[in-house]
Amino acid sequence: MLSLRIAARFLRKSPAQSILIAAGIAIGIGVQVFLGSLITSLQTSLVDQTIGNSPQLIVQAGTAGAPLDYTAALQQAMNSESLITTVVPTRSFSGIFKKGAESAPLQFVGGQLAELDTIYDLSGRLTAGKAELGDKQVMVGKDFADNYGLKPGDTATIVLPDGKSGDLTVSGVFDFGSAAANSTTAFVDAAYAAGVLGLTADQYTAVDAQVSNVFDSRAVAESLRAQPALNGLKVTEWQAQNADLLSALQSQSSSSYMIQFFVLVAVALGIASTLAISAVQKTRQIGILKAMGMKDRQSGRIFFWQALILGVSGAAVGVGAGLALIALFTFLGRNSTSLFPITPQVGFVVISFVVGVLVAVGSSLIPSRRTSKLDPIEVIQGG
Amino acid sequence: MLLHAEDLGKTYGASVETVALQSVSFDLHSGEFAAIIGESGSGKSTLLNLIGLLDTPTTGRVVLNGHDTAAANRKQRAAMRNDFIGFVFQFHYLLPEFSVLENVLMPGRIAGVGAADLRPRAQEVLALLGLDGLENKGANDLSGGQKQRVAIARALMNRPALVLADEPTGNLDTANTKAVYELFRELNRELGTAFMIVTHDRRVAQQTDRILEVRDGLLLQDVRNSYVKSGPAGETELEEEPERGPAERAEPAGPALAPRPAAAGGPAPSV
Repeated sequence: MLSLRIAARFLRKSPAQSILIAAGIAIGIGVQVFLGSLITSLQTSLVDQTIGNSPQLIVQAGTAGAPLDYTAALQQAMNSESLITTVVPTRSFSGIFKKGAESAPLQFVGGQLAELDTIYDLSGRLTAGKAELGDKQVMVGKDFADNYGLKPGDTATIVLPDGKSGDLTVSGVFDFGSAAANSTTAFVDAAYAAGVLGLTADQYTAVDAQVSNVFDSRAVAESLRAQPALNGLKVTEWQAQNADLLSALQSQSSSSYMIQFFVLVAVALGIASTLAISAVQKTRQIGILKAMGMKDRQSGRIFFWQALILGVSGAAVGVGAGLALIALFTFLGRNSTSLFPITPQVGFVVISFVVGVLVAVGSSLIPSRRTSKLDPIEVIQGG
Repeated sequence: MLLHAEDLGKTYGASVETVALQSVSFDLHSGEFAAIIGESGSGKSTLLNLIGLLDTPTTGRVVLNGHDTAAANRKQRAAMRNDFIGFVFQFHYLLPEFSVLENVLMPGRIAGVGAADLRPRAQEVLALLGLDGLENKGANDLSGGQKQRVAIARALMNRPALVLADEPTGNLDTANTKAVYELFRELNRELGTAFMIVTHDRRVAQQTDRILEVRDGLLLQDVRNSYVKSGPAGETELEEEPERGPAERAEPAGPALAPRPAAAGGPAPSV
């Protein structure tokens, strides 16, 4: 490994230059790690806020308003999709909340609390009262409760679709983190909803589902539509309903890729030019090594090794710096509700490191080629 | 025969051709101590670079130690340089990033031998050149004469059969110049290493056993030193000389040992 030793020595004997190149790589990879994690976390946070606590796939009867028979075949079909993580049959209806002269529309979702929790996480998002859905109990959102001065234990009067009115007891208050969802959604017991809607025990208005990766919903919907058990049923998924959000996410991703790409290009150009200068500076040494019998490939490898050493050390420092930036960002935003948590993605960090090393090694191609092509006579004659 | 140069020619430039050397032929035997002389621009360095396999001839061929180098590729020529030839240039060309010892080890390291295995040999060569104790100095921390001696030590590292020296004392003062040539002569005598020394100094050349004089790219004369007359005349006697073998020429005192066996542990010299 003579070329490695020579490379290491060359680097050690020009510390300023070596540190400069490594710092260039470190900054590039640091920005890469930070920016990449920031964008990914921002997207996760956005997606999570938008659809994390709502069904990503909904199966309904073919005719609007008709009851959906939750048959064994349908259950089996839903469970056969490996990407589906949660299946919750629900009974939904709309009603109007009345308090004196005030009234507000409410969308009621009826179901078993334990099942509803798997999608809506009512127990986890409880801000007051108890997570409980017994007969004639209702859980309402935080904004709704604040607007109408409702506390756990209070009675809420609602007008049902058939015109009758009923009294429900507020058992708990939840916070979905979105005023719109908090003001319009309420949860009731499955049996109560069945009574309101006039459904039998295995009839529902919809089967809600979540998938392991939210962006798989389209493919899963396609696959479900093809199943005979879902013949005549309507399958909707969140992406079709949220085209605007999706295109926003996509343009965010592509702008982030653009930035990352150009950061890497700048890093690559920086390393390439500095290594090229270094190669020119070492022309005399390379020439005499070749006169003494060093082979072209062996001499070319000197700059490959230099780039590898610089790439690995620079990228390692860069990953550290990127993670430190993330930690700082998280620390500064610990008390702020407007900032979202940045989670470093292990896979992304590894990719950034590898890309950093590859960019460095790639940048050594020109000096390496130059070095292998160098004829010792050029040095000897010019000396 | 160590070296056979046949009809060597070198032309530079594509559109405007400059003939640096043409139809130079000669043989060099093991253990010879020869000089190449000529004015600057005469083609003497070109000739040295061609026989040192640093440059490729436009015409003719070089046979080194029985290997025809005309067919050799860059890699093979590099290996032959490493194996058979030691170079000493006017400029020392030491690697400033490395210590004296590391510089001397370099030809052996290029040959693929580990530093530990090479160390005794390097110490030997350094001692031979009076450089003991300087092993760990940086190459740049030496005087001009010391640097050139390290360069010579490096040239001897791989026990070359032939040392090619291009104005080796061009940058040295008189005392150091004298010391270097005495050293060359001693190495030639004790190790049997063949030397070809390029110089423009006729007095230096007269210390050698054989003089090849190059003028305008042509080999003007090739004479055994005892026949060389000072002054420009004397070409007439010279043409018959190249045919003479080394056995016929006046041998310097001391054993004329073949370089490799001697270096590998011959009786008298310990290098």
